Formats: sequence, C-alpha cells, structure tokens
Amino acid sequence: MTRPATPAARVIDLDAVRASTLPNGLRLRVLREAGSPTVSYATFFQVGSRNERPGTTGISHLFEHMMFNGAAKYGPKEFDRVLEARGGHSNAYTSNDLTVYYEDFAASALATVVDLESDRMRSLRIDDGALEQEREVVKEERRLRTDNSVFGLMEEQLESLVFQAHPYRWPVIGWMDDIQRISRADCEAFFRSAYAPSNAAVYVVGDVEPEAVERLVGEAYGDIPAGPPPAPVPAGEPEQRGERRAEIRFPAQAPALLMGWRAPAARDADTAALDLAQVCLATGESSRLRRTLVHGSGLAVSINASFGWRIDPGVFMIFAELAPGARPARVEAAVAAELGRLAARGPSAAELRRARALLRSAVLHELGTHHGLAHALGQAEGLLGDWREAGRQLEHYAAVSAADVRRVVARWLAPERRSVVTLVPEGGR
Amino acid sequence: MSAMPQPPVRRERLENGLTVVVASRPGVPLAAVRLLVRAGSSLDPAGRFGLAHLVAAAVRRGTRSRSGARVDAEVEALGAELGAGVDEDAASIGLTAPLEHLPRLLAVLADVATRPAFPAAEVAKLRAREVAALAHDLDEPGVVADRATIMAAYGAHPYGHPSEGRGKHLAAVRRADLLAFHARHWRPSRATLLVVGPVDAEATLDLVRRHLGGWRGAAGGEVEIVPPAPQPSGVVLVDRPDLTQVQLRIAAPGFARGAGDHAAGVVAGAVLGGGFTSRLMEAIRVERGLSYGVRARFASGRSGGLFFVSSFTKVESAGELARVALDELHRFREGGPTEEELGRVRGFLGGLYPLSLETHEAWAEKLAEVELYGLPQDEVATFLARVGAVDAEACRAVARRYLPGERRVVVAVGPAKALRPQLEPLGPVRVLKAQAVM
Repeated sequence: MTRPATPAARVIDLDAVRASTLPNGLRLRVLREAGSPTVSYATFFQVGSRNERPGTTGISHLFEHMMFNGAAKYGPKEFDRVLEARGGHSNAYTSNDLTVYYEDFAASALATVVDLESDRMRSLRIDDGALEQEREVVKEERRLRTDNSVFGLMEEQLESLVFQAHPYRWPVIGWMDDIQRISRADCEAFFRSAYAPSNAAVYVVGDVEPEAVERLVGEAYGDIPAGPPPAPVPAGEPEQRGERRAEIRFPAQAPALLMGWRAPAARDADTAALDLAQVCLATGESSRLRRTLVHGSGLAVSINASFGWRIDPGVFMIFAELAPGARPARVEAAVAAELGRLAARGPSAAELRRARALLRSAVLHELGTHHGLAHALGQAEGLLGDWREAGRQLEHYAAVSAADVRRVVARWLAPERRSVVTLVPEGGR
Repeated sequence: MSAMPQPPVRRERLENGLTVVVASRPGVPLAAVRLLVRAGSSLDPAGRFGLAHLVAAAVRRGTRSRSGARVDAEVEALGAELGAGVDEDAASIGLTAPLEHLPRLLAVLADVATRPAFPAAEVAKLRAREVAALAHDLDEPGVVADRATIMAAYGAHPYGHPSEGRGKHLAAVRRADLLAFHARHWRPSRATLLVVGPVDAEATLDLVRRHLGGWRGAAGGEVEIVPPAPQPSGVVLVDRPDLTQVQLRIAAPGFARGAGDHAAGVVAGAVLGGGFTSRLMEAIRVERGLSYGVRARFASGRSGGLFFVSSFTKVESAGELARVALDELHRFREGGPTEEELGRVRGFLGGLYPLSLETHEAWAEKLAEVELYGLPQDEVATFLARVGAVDAEACRAVARRYLPGERRVVVAVGPAKALRPQLEPLGPVRVLKAQAVM
C-alpha cells in the first residue's frame, strides 16, 4: 500500500532565515542556500490593483513598467544593461495585492543588484516620454492577454460579476480607458506613497553570506525616507444572494465555461481545505472533474480549477474548454453534480491522501529553486503577514480532514453563490 | 564567477540498446524521470499528421495489465503526474517522482512505454479530444501564427507540419496506425531513459535494468530525416477579421542542433532577441512602444532548423513592426555585434546558464538534448567556454549565412484586408483562412 507522504515535515529550515528591519521600515529576509552559485533577490511592494481607485485602474501595473526607465545613478536603459552584463536577468509582476520585482543572477553580482534596486527605490525618474512609451506597451499587453484572448475576456467578466464593490472587480491591467488617462502626476503620487521602504520587503535567497547582505542593504537603502502609512482599502462586499450570469459572444471555434465563487481570504482557516478540494476536483487526470467530463463524457477538452490566495476574499474558479458543439449547460450541470457530491459526502480517505501527496510534490518543487524560495517567503509575508508560513503549508494540509473538505465545499462553492460566464462562439470566419 | 556544480553522470547502454543516464545531485527529495524516444512528428506518415503525437498521448490510456484510469490513479496517488509530448524529433513521457516512490513510478512508466494496449474505446475518445483541442488552438492567434510559420518555412519537409497534427489527419487515424507506429519507432535502440535527483546511481541503474532491460523492439533500419530545403519567400496572411492585434513572425532557414554554428548562433540570437536589452527589444519596445515583447533566436532540430522573430502589435502598426525588425536584421548582417554587446551577452549567458540548470527537471531536459542531438558528453561543461570564444567575426558570419534577408517568410495573423497594403511591399502575398492551418 501507499506509504503516507511525510505529512508534518517542515520543508524549509526557517530557523536559518535572518530577518531584520531597517529604521526606515524596509524589511529584509535572507536565506543562505548554497546549492548552486546563484542568488534570487525579490522586492515586494505591498501594493496592487486592490489599492487603486476607479479612473486610474491599472496604475500599479503601468507603474511597474516605469520602474525600468532609469533613476539618478543608473539612467534610462542602464538597469537591464548593467544587470545582464553581470550575469543576471530581471522582471516584475503585479497582482491584485502585490507588486514584485526580482533579479536572478550569478552570486558575484550581488553588490551590483543591491545598488541597482536601491537606486530606483530612492530616486526613480518619471518623465513624460517614458510614460507615453510604456502606456503604448501596456495597451499592447492588454490587447494580447485580454482583448484578443478567450480566457482573458472571460476572466475579466467573471471578476466583475463576483465582486460588485471591492477593487478586485477591475482587472490588474486596468481598463483601456484608464490606461490612457493615467498622468505623470498620478505616477509621481503613486511612487511617493506605494514605493516607500516602509511599504516594502526584500528577500534574498542563494549563495550569499547573510551578514554581508545585511550590511550591503543597510548601507544602500538606509537613507531612503520612510513613507506615510498606506491608505485603507475599501474592502467591503455585499453578500451574494443568488447566481450571477454573463455571456460573451466572440468569434471562436468552440464554447467555453468559466465558473467562480467568492472564496475565503488567504488568512482564513478554510484556505487549506479548499486547496485540497481543488486538487480532488481538477488536478491530475484521475481528479473528479477530469474523470467525468474529459475522460468520461468527453464534453470538455480540458478542465481546471484554481484558487489563488488573496489578502481579501478572492475567487475559486473552474474553467472548461468544451468540445465544439457541446452544450455549456450540460457541463455546468455535471460540475454542479460533482460539487454536490463532494459537499454531501466529502472525499474518500484515498482521495485525501492523493491530494496531500500531489500538494507535497508541488510545494517541494516550488521550493527547489532560489527563485521559488524567495517568492514563497514574500508571498507568505505579503498575503499572510508572516514569511514563516512559507514552511508551514504541508502542516496545514496534514491537519485537514475529509469532513473539513466537505464543509468548505458546502460553504464556499454552493450553487447560489456562483457566477457563471459562458463563451458563445459567434460569426463565421 | 563560481564554477557551476556538475552532477556525476552515469551513462550506460543496456543489452537491448536502451541508453540509460542517471545524474545524482543534491536538492529536494524528488527525481525527474524522462523517457525520450526518437519517434517525433517528422516520422508522421503522409495523411496522418499528428500520429506521433497521438501515440505519445495514447500509451498511458491503457496497457496489457492496467487500464488508462488505473495508470492515472496509481501515478497520482503517489504524488506524481504523468506528462507526455512530442516535438519534431522525439516523443517523451515523464514525471517527477517523490524519491520514496521512484521504484513504483518507474514500473508504471515502463509498463506504459513498452506495453501499451491502445484500447479501442480510449483511442476513439482521445482522437476526438485532440481534434477538439485543435479547435481551441485556432482561437489562440499566437498558436495559429506559429503553425502557419512552420508550414511556410519548411513546406513539404517532414518538419513542415505542427507536431500536434492536423484536424482531418487526426480524425482519420485508426487504432492500427497507432499500433504500427509504436511497434516500428518505440524501440529501446531509439530510446533514452533519464533519472536526475538525489538518487543512488547504482541502485537506480539496477531499477531501470529490472523494468526496462526486458524491452524488446522490432528490428529494422534506422530512419533519418534529410535536411530541409529552403522554401519560396513571401508573405502569408492568415485572415482573422475580428482581431485588434496582429501576431507577426519572420523566419528563414537555420541549422541543425548538432552543427558547429550553434555557439555563434546562441550569441547572435541573444544580441538580437534575448533579454530586455536586445537590439529588437530596444527598437520595437523601448524606442517605439510597438509591442509588449519580441523574441528572436535559432530553433534547431536534429535535421535542420530556423531563425525566427516573433512579436505582435496593433493592426495599424504591423507594417512598421515588420520593417523595423527587418532593418535590424539587415544592420546585424552587415555590421555584426559591437564589442560592448559581445561582452554583455557573454556575461548574460554566463549567469543565465547555471540559473537554467537549477532543477532536476532542467538537468533531465539538458541531458536528454545531449542524447537526442548526439552532442558530446562534455556539452554542459564546455558550453560557456564555447560561448566565450565566439567573437564578432563568428557572429557576423552566422548572421550573413542565416538571418532573414532576401530569403524569408513573413507570417501575420489578423484582418487580411488591413494587413495586405502594409505587408505587400515585403513580397508576394498569400491569404489563408485560419482553418487552412488546422
């Protein structure tokens, strides 16, 4: 028989993380991992589309682009040139909750990276030319990921159904009209408040000496002034009292279905059980929905579930690409039936073991690189308020019972709480 | 720069011809397992494009002793997920095994690869699903552009159809086709089994011998694919009147992966289209805000390859994007890289290479490349030295020889009516419906 996956094993030695905070509020967490001669350096700003206001939606993301256009010491185009020449590469991403910059590089480039990152936090240049150019780039990004993408269109529609008041109702990339409207003054104000060291944390993982990192970071960032505390987020959301639906008509070959439920916040005690429910439902070919809809009836070509943890209550999604000609209503009914069964009877013991084993592999895989470790620490602190949580996931999963899974599915994924977006193929081509 | 740690690699050829590669390296308690078989889409018979892909996807749908559902359940209960795929040269199936379950997972993998039953009902369902998946591909403009580029750049060569196949061909595949293809091409002498992770090499080799030593393949001559011939230049427009953004590709013939031009090609590709400071990124994104991204590189298979540029822009900028890209390619052919660019790219590649080999899976992929393309066993150890030895003249030579100049195909997916006047100056235009590339 299957041996149980070592359930309570801590996956990272968190005692080895050195945590400190500069007088200006910048938090620093360093983990020495000498496996390969590389370092991952991640800067997390506690800002995302959640902190935006109507009229300038998308500013967090547009601003992320502005961060690569030069500062006082390293001018325009210098950031990537200097970094790449030293054997590194850099990128960034913006989510609903966080904006993250990272560099992965050869260990010898550490001092250069600290210099580059502190330079732009201290003295970013924001000029009209750069803003106009990035505005066009971001509009292309929006055309790519949303306006000309079936899933992009559907996801945008779903979030605006699931949320009626909360800032999660608009897309991270922002509305096209707002991208066009954001001004240089908006960007300057945004930088002063959101990008102060007191709103940021730096995670350094890899082939480094922690004391040396602390010294370097202290010297480089120490004189950057702290900023004002971030404005509170209007996080209220009226209770959903019944199903919500939308239809997207788009020239497509085949229908698709996206269902969503407002799900618990990252800190909620139910998140671990919902992660396990997600795996039971649609991770792997022997998951319930793949077995029934992909390998069984063949109504779906693919089906996936996702539950991205967020600071405030987020979304649990199920997305299915349907066989051409298949009726979305039939897939919807099959998903509802499967959720109903899980809510009534819970998973079997074997199913729960399977879900834990798959999650264990996924966690180990994520923590297998310096990049993955740095981001796991940052996500844990950014969303849950404590980087130590990065090493506790498997303990949380081990503590979840079949009854817990049954309860959270019944509570969070009930039919009257769902929102449904259907893609209706239209037009010949 | 500190030296990159090289795991000890044990390589052995079993009596049945199977090559086994085991690399022991520290790290997370998982092992990457890959079975690579030289049974890629370039071996698809006429009228059956997609057969190799279907075989790779179908082996897991049932063996002589396990149903497809049982394979899935058994593998996933142990915390692994089985993956399968093909490219033009090879099929591969693999999984990442929790270390303690490696023996059982290897047993399932061996069963799937060597004793598939291709149950008729499962084959019928899989075939229908793959045809339906192509319909969803047709809704992805980037995928349509890539398919059209392969078809235009390779023509009737065995590399000239997408590995996922074509809808009508897939629909015509019979179970007997799968059986015949598997029997002919899935043979130990054409296969390599790779295991990478914190494993004991001897014990792992024993395990592989036990599960795959008895694999017997049909005898028969080796199939080799001839190098591709250059195709007529021109512009292919795939008509999608509804799109507000155009996917654009420019391609020209390149070289096979094992060719001596590889290192110079990597450097030239990085200067032109790698990282955020490449010439194309500067010209297209930074200077003009024409696109969110642009990539350019040599893509090489066993028998040949392409150089390609890939980007996208709003419909009205398609002509400008193509012109800017072609101008940059022309400038590079004439002048090659500057010393400053060369230095930067050497630094960039030197740092990136260890980063690209941080996981067990990445090592398994790299060691699989060594086997598939017949590269020297010291490929990884000497890569950076070879890249460091590429000078401006070597870059210019590889650019003159291969970068798209007069010989090239330009592919654009978007509203043909608006695109034709913009792209007509680049060559004779052919307009296709999106279905024509499916």
